[in-house]
Amino acid sequence: MAPLLQIVGVQKHFGGLSALAGLDMHIDEGEIVSVIGPNGAGKSTLFNVITGLYAPDGGDILFRGESIVGLRPHQVAKLGIARTFQNVHLFPNMTVIENAMVGQHCRSSSGVFGSVLRLPSTRREEEQIRARAVQALDFFGSRLAGYRQEQTAFSLSYANRRRLEMARAMATDPTILMLDEPTAGMNPRETLELRDHIVRMRDEIGLTVLVIEHDMRVVKGVSTRVVALDYGQKIGEGTYEEVAHNERVIEAYLGTKAVG
Amino acid sequence: MSAFERLPWRRMILVALSVFIATFVIYGSWKTLTLPDGKAYSGAAWRDFVILGIAQGAILALIALGYTLVYGILRMINFAHGEVFMVGAFGSYFFADAYVKSGFMNRHPIAALGILFLTAIITSVGVGILLERVAYRPLRNSPRLVPLITAIGASLFLQNAVRGFFGTNTRGYPKPDILTGSWTIFGLEIARIQVVVFVVSVVAMVALQLFVSRTTTGKSMRAVAEDPEIASLMGIDVDRIVVMTFAIGGVLAGVAGVLFALTFEQVNFFMGFRPGIAAFTAAVLGGIGSIGGAALGGFALGLLQSLGPALLLTGIGVPSPFQLKDVVTFAVLVLVLIFRPGGLLGSGESEKV
Amino acid sequence: MPFNRLVRTGLVGGIGVLFVALVGLMAKVADINLIGTQVTGAYTLLALVPFTVGYVAVRPRVVAGQIESFSTARSVRSGAVAGATAGALIAIAVLFTDRYGVDRVREVFIQVDPDLIELLSFGQSATVGAVILIVGGGALGAAGAGFRSLNPSQRRNLGMAVSVTLLMGLLQRIIPIMLVQLGLETDWLYSKVTGGLTWIGAAIVFAATWGASWFWARRGRTAKETIRTMTREQPGTRLVAGVALLALLAAVPWLVGSVISDVLGTVMVFMLLGLGLNIVVGYAGLLDLGYVAFFGFGAYATALLTGATLNTTTGSAAPALSLDLNFYIAIPIVVLLAAGVGVLIGGPVLRLRGDYLAIVTLGLGEIASILLASNWLTPLVGGPQGMRNVTDASIAGFSFRDPQHFFYLALAFVLMAVFLSWRLANSRIGRAWNAMREDEQVADAMGISTTRFKLLAFAMGGAVGSLGGALLAVKIGSLAPSSFEIIVSITALAVVILGGMGSIPGVVVGGLVLIGLPGLLREFEEFRLLIYGGALVSIMVLRPQGLVPNIRRSRELHEEDRSQDKWAGDLSADEQVAAPLTPLGEGSG
Repeated sequence: MAPLLQIVGVQKHFGGLSALAGLDMHIDEGEIVSVIGPNGAGKSTLFNVITGLYAPDGGDILFRGESIVGLRPHQVAKLGIARTFQNVHLFPNMTVIENAMVGQHCRSSSGVFGSVLRLPSTRREEEQIRARAVQALDFFGSRLAGYRQEQTAFSLSYANRRRLEMARAMATDPTILMLDEPTAGMNPRETLELRDHIVRMRDEIGLTVLVIEHDMRVVKGVSTRVVALDYGQKIGEGTYEEVAHNERVIEAYLGTKAVG
Repeated sequence: MSAFERLPWRRMILVALSVFIATFVIYGSWKTLTLPDGKAYSGAAWRDFVILGIAQGAILALIALGYTLVYGILRMINFAHGEVFMVGAFGSYFFADAYVKSGFMNRHPIAALGILFLTAIITSVGVGILLERVAYRPLRNSPRLVPLITAIGASLFLQNAVRGFFGTNTRGYPKPDILTGSWTIFGLEIARIQVVVFVVSVVAMVALQLFVSRTTTGKSMRAVAEDPEIASLMGIDVDRIVVMTFAIGGVLAGVAGVLFALTFEQVNFFMGFRPGIAAFTAAVLGGIGSIGGAALGGFALGLLQSLGPALLLTGIGVPSPFQLKDVVTFAVLVLVLIFRPGGLLGSGESEKV
Repeated sequence: MPFNRLVRTGLVGGIGVLFVALVGLMAKVADINLIGTQVTGAYTLLALVPFTVGYVAVRPRVVAGQIESFSTARSVRSGAVAGATAGALIAIAVLFTDRYGVDRVREVFIQVDPDLIELLSFGQSATVGAVILIVGGGALGAAGAGFRSLNPSQRRNLGMAVSVTLLMGLLQRIIPIMLVQLGLETDWLYSKVTGGLTWIGAAIVFAATWGASWFWARRGRTAKETIRTMTREQPGTRLVAGVALLALLAAVPWLVGSVISDVLGTVMVFMLLGLGLNIVVGYAGLLDLGYVAFFGFGAYATALLTGATLNTTTGSAAPALSLDLNFYIAIPIVVLLAAGVGVLIGGPVLRLRGDYLAIVTLGLGEIASILLASNWLTPLVGGPQGMRNVTDASIAGFSFRDPQHFFYLALAFVLMAVFLSWRLANSRIGRAWNAMREDEQVADAMGISTTRFKLLAFAMGGAVGSLGGALLAVKIGSLAPSSFEIIVSITALAVVILGGMGSIPGVVVGGLVLIGLPGLLREFEEFRLLIYGGALVSIMVLRPQGLVPNIRRSRELHEEDRSQDKWAGDLSADEQVAAPLTPLGEGSG
């Protein structure tokens, strides 16, 4: 079966710096793939290029076999690729539920006419949007439920903000969910909880997940496959065990061994 | 993903627009240049347009530098800078009026002019610094729209304060005798005032460039322009540098004010508005944030303003084409921002939003 | 209390008074009698300044980790010093003018004339006047400082009572008319001789307001709660309230008479502009400084479609393009065309960042203004002389040109625009706009086509703006390009900003304050722009969310006070490889 998402020889330069230097990788449906690598390896750039925030300087990206290079980010989202951000980018002055409802934007279509006249079809759609948003929030249990949903996103704790961002991305009904360092800044208990959430995403909802992670406990616990990057290129791929013992990967993280 | 949505709409519209503009420019110019002898502009007329354009462009460049300096440091458009220019002209007016009445102006013209420049500079710098302190500093960390709106309000306020103080009447600005008439340079007869405008402007611009590149303050300014937070960590007093920037902008605007007043021999509370926008256009045209860009943009826009209506509109039969001089200015502004927001000296790609 | 601070505050106050005097406002309000013949506009202003100076000068600040506190005696003394300084500055100016000669000063500052000096020296000689200024300033400053020492409820009651009384004095052009219309006697309240409040009337208003304020403090909260529960639990209440409000609005033209109806008509035209601009600036966050283009388009398009003629030196002439449609058929066409123009202009331009977008739209607006007045387009729109014979939008013979009838047409349009804005704000579209405004790139990544929604906002705003233009055309019956200059864009912006970006009641308040007050008080007419400028600066510095804020915007504007993730700005910062911005003195980055 053809891979769900294929990244073929993708390059991205910023001035003289090569953030991505000919990257090849793929994701199959139903996988949870972790992308690891030291800082500056190009992981977030990869996300930005896939979602259309940057146009690649070379190479191609195929989703379900069709190229998505050149599409605008909202078009990519509509196709079914959703993401979260390394630094949480919520809509801080909107409520939790409103943030989640924004996710459903690309799955709804009421226009000016319907909105102004509050046609029955528009009202129904609003209810659906709301229901779907609540559903996405409920995935995280009681943390984002009930009275919390009417609070402004700004007032949430850090961990809850990350969860909200994920819920918002999930509310876009994606096929692929891309998480950028989802456990950064979380304490160990929250980290393990999130690890379980990621697995549930695949098992309960059927999402294919691509995760950038630094925390190896999480990588080990969720991945079907791990891809290691350095200097914008793939330096290792395989199961967690294989990659963890890959010499090039170890060198990238720790540097070469001193003599002796 | 339908084919409809994948069409590069924006690219297509931009291409259509560029084709339209290019056709218009070529057609208009051709028509003007092929007008029959009675209606066509003579070679001398074209020469005068060019000289006028350079002289006015010099003034625009001086004002544009003020915009570009403030933009470089604070990333904001000091919408009220046109009014800083205006108050400088007004500030010097009262002295000019007194001097011409007492005859001082023509007895010691150099000294008189010197004092005029000085008073204009003091007034402009004073107003500029006051603006920064009262209207802009409290808003350093606000979302971008806020300082811009404040600047608009400040511009409105200054204009009407001057109107209230000094009246709506246009006041005649005297010109010393040594500046009336023309000099012959390289066989061309050029109005003396235009020569002075050009020379003074170029001197000021060179002085500024030297200041920014050679002095410590200038280096500090460049540092703050690049990254205010790191600059302050390096021990640079960002507030002082900001004030300095406004002050320098004020100096240039004051000088421009006197030059403008001497050229057009009048001052009026509204005189800063259109030149202000034109100067901003010039700064954007050359590449906002860049000193060379402001200078280049100033001269370029000056030429466009004087040649544009003549060249493009006369031929196709537009009556009173010079009424539309500012349409040319604004059209340039709009087009530059659409096609090449980085300006002539900036990079070709549009700035990431 | 540091002496510097007192003196500085005093000087600022004094400069303020001098500014008001030199700009001509003081003289203009000198003749407005607020209460009796003694409390004139000018003297109220003159008294308020040292009072405020005293109040502000003793404001407790945080020094070395503690909040300052002073004894009342010390406060009062300090206030006196500050107030006296203000008075002294004015005194110096008066003495100087007296010595140097009024005529010579007038050569520079044209508003200075003997009347002004007489005003500032209270009708006495310059020296005596100076003494009064200093002593009076000191006394008022002391009073201001003393005011601060009162407990909060006393302060509120007193403050409200004084403010409302003065306001009632200010509204002397409108309230007596309304009372007379209702068949009530007004002589006890407003003197026919002086124009302002009588002393008895002032005393009554003062006492009544004090009582109301005191009462509200006691019972106000429960009253609010009762109303709130009633509206929530009994749905009929809302309907009744709405109908009552409509009935009240319908009665306004009859109540206030023709002259004020005319002013209100203009207010509503600008409210319409404000509502349209509110969609663009308030909802979508796009600063459009060329809004006058839509206004002008609406006016001239309506004129052309309904058979207006060009105004020429010899009478009328037919425009190059003219139809003779009924107003109510022309309106939808004009609105649709305006929306179309909005999309056309918006397309290439809306991807620009905030300040650039503002300047570009400014440029486009200016191009529109210049073209409307140009000789080139005279065959179409009449050039500098404009057009005349615009339709009066009559239905079955009922003409709307008369100010009291026009009110209803304008009201209908305003209500439609309010309804449209309100529904849009609370819909999926409004949500998309909010998201876009808070973080454009993220909104895009979440599936919102920012281009489409920006264009939508622009088109909707343009449509509403063109309605405003159509209304104006009907109101005046003729069009001149001088009515369509950049100042209209800035006025509309001021209305939206002052009221509160994104707030519909804000636009209403903004319109009433910025257009209504100068319209009522003709003395302020020539200072309108000065006041707009000052209002814009003050609002942005002191209260950027506006007078009647939209809650969400209020949070956004104070974000920097609470921001935790200050480095989490641009998305490209995530990867630390963002391209550096062009440094000063160099060319390309």
